[in-house]
Amino acid sequence: MRRHRKPCQICEMGSRVIDYKDERLLSRFLTERGKIIPARLSGMCARHQRQLSRAIKRARQIALLPFIRGYSR
Amino acid sequence: MTREYELVYIFDSTLEEEAINERLERFHEILKCPESSEPISGINHWGKRTLAYEVDGRDVGYYVVVQFETRPDLLGELERALKLDDAVLRYLVVLNEGLAPVTAAVAEESEPASAESTAGSAAESPIDGEAESTTDGPAEPAATEEVEE
Repeated sequence: MRRHRKPCQICEMGSRVIDYKDERLLSRFLTERGKIIPARLSGMCARHQRQLSRAIKRARQIALLPFIRGYSR
Repeated sequence: MTREYELVYIFDSTLEEEAINERLERFHEILKCPESSEPISGINHWGKRTLAYEVDGRDVGYYVVVQFETRPDLLGELERALKLDDAVLRYLVVLNEGLAPVTAAVAEESEPASAESTAGSAAESPIDGEAESTTDGPAEPAATEEVEE
């Protein structure tokens, strides 16, 4: 049987835009290794998953988020 | 035609505040054009922050976030200046899409639901494991949902 879909967390916060500088929010959608959690697991809607992945990739560029967490050093 | 942009600098954290301000002024001079004589609409010094990973052998950077409005063809010149300056470890120029309603404050409010950040990442680990190990999608995510609720 099909389970009902988990509501999108960003939609529930009542906002449409995700800020790439807010690394505390973004880090909730990363695995412990720093991968982006897929929408099928996080329950994000398509619009916000797109925004989220872009925001996370930007945050990685400016060293707010790691590309790989816990790598070597 | 001008567009609105946002620029994040990461400076060498060993620099003095004055040296950074002097560089900011120099960079922002480039952005001036007839359409916008005062291109800068906001400067936000985040100050020293620990980098998520090593950049040029450094663990700490001095972050400055700037909102500005300028002609797109001036950006090339700005980027050239930024690349030439060794004090700039990293920079990122993006189109400014307006102030994001999702702020750190909002995130804090909903934080207790997913516990502390360390505990949160620990809770996320089983999800990571499943993402890599399972081939049949729909059944497993349902299981994780139950665990979370």
